[in-house]
Amino acid sequence: MNTGPALVSILRQGSYLIASIHTALDDSQLMRLQKDLVDQIGRHRSRGVIIDVAALDVLDSFGSRTLRDIAEMARLRGALTVIVGIQPDVAFAMVSLGMGTGSVHAALDLEEGLEYLDRQVRARQPGSSVVVPR
Amino acid sequence: MVRRIVRSRVADHPAADDLVQETLLRVLGAMGRVEPGMLEPYAIVTARHVIASMWKDQDRHRRNQHRMADLRLPDAPDADLLLGEDRAAVAQALQHLSDRERDTLLAHELHGQDTRSLADELGSTAGAVAAQLNRTRARLRVEYLLAVERTEPFSDRCRPVLIALSSGDRRRQRDVDAGRHLLECELCARLSQPLLGRGQQHDDEVRIPIRADADVVLARQGVRELAARAGFSPTDLTIIATAVSEISRNIVRFATAGEIVVELLEEPRPGVRIVARDTGPGIPDVEQALTDGFSTYRGLGLGLPGARRLMDEFAVVSEVDRGTTVTMTKWRQEGSP
Repeated sequence: MNTGPALVSILRQGSYLIASIHTALDDSQLMRLQKDLVDQIGRHRSRGVIIDVAALDVLDSFGSRTLRDIAEMARLRGALTVIVGIQPDVAFAMVSLGMGTGSVHAALDLEEGLEYLDRQVRARQPGSSVVVPR
Repeated sequence: MVRRIVRSRVADHPAADDLVQETLLRVLGAMGRVEPGMLEPYAIVTARHVIASMWKDQDRHRRNQHRMADLRLPDAPDADLLLGEDRAAVAQALQHLSDRERDTLLAHELHGQDTRSLADELGSTAGAVAAQLNRTRARLRVEYLLAVERTEPFSDRCRPVLIALSSGDRRRQRDVDAGRHLLECELCARLSQPLLGRGQQHDDEVRIPIRADADVVLARQGVRELAARAGFSPTDLTIIATAVSEISRNIVRFATAGEIVVELLEEPRPGVRIVARDTGPGIPDVEQALTDGFSTYRGLGLGLPGARRLMDEFAVVSEVDRGTTVTMTKWRQEGSP
């Protein structure tokens, strides 16, 4: 269906998945991202998911809803989700529109997102032998 | 006699016959107005007009040809035939004008009579004559297209809409609700293509058809680009794009076809107006649809109320089974560049 360059890349980093969105996405592309991510969480037994939305031009009600859904589905599959890279203008518009990503954790950038996951995942499994990559 | 005059001016016969017909028709039409002895000179002058207008229209048609749907190769074997059809179409189109409109147009276009002296003759002002000429040209274009297509409008709304589009008069287009008619009337949607080509000279307006998910992204980008030219801040651009995203999604979700028209405003201050039209089922209860959290699909119920919060002015007009029009405006903040 899509023959152009990849719109989203999902990279594996240890027990985390990092989804980078490269361009503005329409609704069906967002749904596809949701499906792909949830599939891969199971396949790679991921503990954490980072979604980088810096390239999104807007986060409207559907976009926010989808991010929230992804986080909830990931949680049910045993992974924690962090959204990184929300631009200041986008954040402003989201609040004016009257919505947010609710309980989903957000971090300023990829580095902070990774730090957050490290802390949370380690805290969740005290004394476990799972090696958490840094 | 008429035939001789025409033959002497145009060599090729198929057109000549049409021109003779055209001239005779006009002379017959004018019989009552012309003094008996003057009929012959009148016919000669009329013939000249008809011929000259043919060249003129042909010329105009050549210039506009690239806008027409039927792209032809030069010197195709059927070129003569098509040219003949064209002339017939032009002649037919001219027939639809009133005598006064036609005479004024010809006097101005062919004999170079300026609007002021025309105004004196008609007991009017130069400005009024110029405006009338523009309207006449607009009508001629519409009648020509109808003649070429050998068709008649489906309803009595078609002609006013097409003429408004042809003249590029936006106030008139709003009065006749041209945008909605184009969504509803297939014939006009097709016929208006070459006419809209003219309208696009206004670069302070973009029109984005909305049919599928991907169009929502195009609409967002289109409005952002145009509003950026009006000097909106990046934050406002994102706000406007978000509102457009919400209302164009509604079109994709609830209606099969619609469009977003974005227009820059100068008065009373700089701003951008967005009109979203669709031919969907309409909203039975607009008040309810504007309530937070009211959603008929798997959404947040923030579409319409959210867009209303983002914009400065917001109006929804909806008719069940006919469609919905959302008009929203954002003014540029004072103090922005």
